[in-house]
Amino acid sequence: MQPFEYYKPKDFDEAFKLLTLPGKMMYPLAGATDLIPHTRDGAWKPDGVVDIKGLPGLRDLKVEGLEPCCGCAPGECLYVGAAVRMNEIAHSALVRSHWDVLAQAAAAMGNEQVRNRATLGGNLGTASPAADSAPALLVLEASVLVKGPEGDRSIPVEKFFAGPKRNVLKKGELIVGILIPKPPVGSVGVYEKLSRRKAGDLAIVGVAVMAYPHASGHRWRVALGAVAPTPIRSPQAEVILNAGHDAAHIDEAAAAAYGCCCPIDDVRASAAYRQMMVVNITRRAIRAVVQQLHP
Amino acid sequence: MHHEITLTINGDLYTVAVQSHHTLLKVLREQLGITSPKVGCENGECGACTVIMNGVAVNSCQVLAVEADGATIETVEGLSKDGNLHPLQTAFIEHNAVQCGFCTPGMLMSAKALLDHNPHPTADEIRHALVGNLCRCTGYTRIVEAIQDVARQGDPT
Repeated sequence: MQPFEYYKPKDFDEAFKLLTLPGKMMYPLAGATDLIPHTRDGAWKPDGVVDIKGLPGLRDLKVEGLEPCCGCAPGECLYVGAAVRMNEIAHSALVRSHWDVLAQAAAAMGNEQVRNRATLGGNLGTASPAADSAPALLVLEASVLVKGPEGDRSIPVEKFFAGPKRNVLKKGELIVGILIPKPPVGSVGVYEKLSRRKAGDLAIVGVAVMAYPHASGHRWRVALGAVAPTPIRSPQAEVILNAGHDAAHIDEAAAAAYGCCCPIDDVRASAAYRQMMVVNITRRAIRAVVQQLHP
Repeated sequence: MHHEITLTINGDLYTVAVQSHHTLLKVLREQLGITSPKVGCENGECGACTVIMNGVAVNSCQVLAVEADGATIETVEGLSKDGNLHPLQTAFIEHNAVQCGFCTPGMLMSAKALLDHNPHPTADEIRHALVGNLCRCTGYTRIVEAIQDVARQGDPT
């Protein structure tokens, strides 16, 4: 692995200074499970890494005292610090209480050793189209909280990804946490993942589906991973489900999800296979939600 | 640049100067002579380098040594006590859960991390905990049986 320098700032000012060192390629370091392999294979060439795990608030997982918040009642949002590990999320009783679809996605990611290191902020920041957490955060309508040398901003997850392995952060900006509104009681979310083995592999297709109680029916969210340059929502599938979720609507919504995606061929699957599997996995995820809505 | 780190490994305190880009695996093996964690894929896929860090299983190839400053690390070297093998080691031998042996240290540490948190796992839970430990001698069944055996020994009955 090429040599690089390591810094562990205690406050944000120091972090921003390090991340914007002139003429240097500086990378934030959280779980290192992307940074080390990508540096080893030469895809990333850091002059230095900035360990963000000591920055205030980055290891917090909580519902209270949130500033800024997203407009819902105080203490009603889940805040997940950027450096919270995937296994901490997967095992958290708090996350599972109202945001279970995120716990499901965290548990589906990587393997035990990787989940003990990999972080939610890193999973988003790397911006892999196949990031397991992304579809879950899309259907939860989460926001990415960002701090940078020029101030703070909050970016809806939907607007965070710019392309394969690209996000909208500017130089020096850091993900500090993820803010997730509390779904109303009776909401149900499911993450379904298809990969070559049952666990421990990247998604060929990842689908998150969420139904929110709304008026006399439900408001639906459907998000797809690994089938487009970024994780995406399928508004067409959502509109169909908003009108009903009987067998005919489910088939129609799954077909609509097929129309939203534009996957690639890679070592895991062909584009054609991926696109066909979007239909099956979307249908499976919707059915799993319906089963919980009407047990 | 070198960073001086202090960490506890198998109960002993070590202070060592490490380079920024060196992994915990490299430092354990090449600077401290602790060679039970094996160099496998170095990509977080195979688990041959698994150690327990602050109570959870991690791939030591995916941790910068400098990040382990202040950490508590457990490796196979610390499993036996006073010349007696750890129950997991004994069970692996009795069940012939070792063939070439390269994956074994990682398997043992993943199994120990599991049993430390969940003393009575189901076969499914054991397989789930070992997803990140690859054995290419097709030894999974015997490994799962060995771990189940230890879990049963721990039963209060």
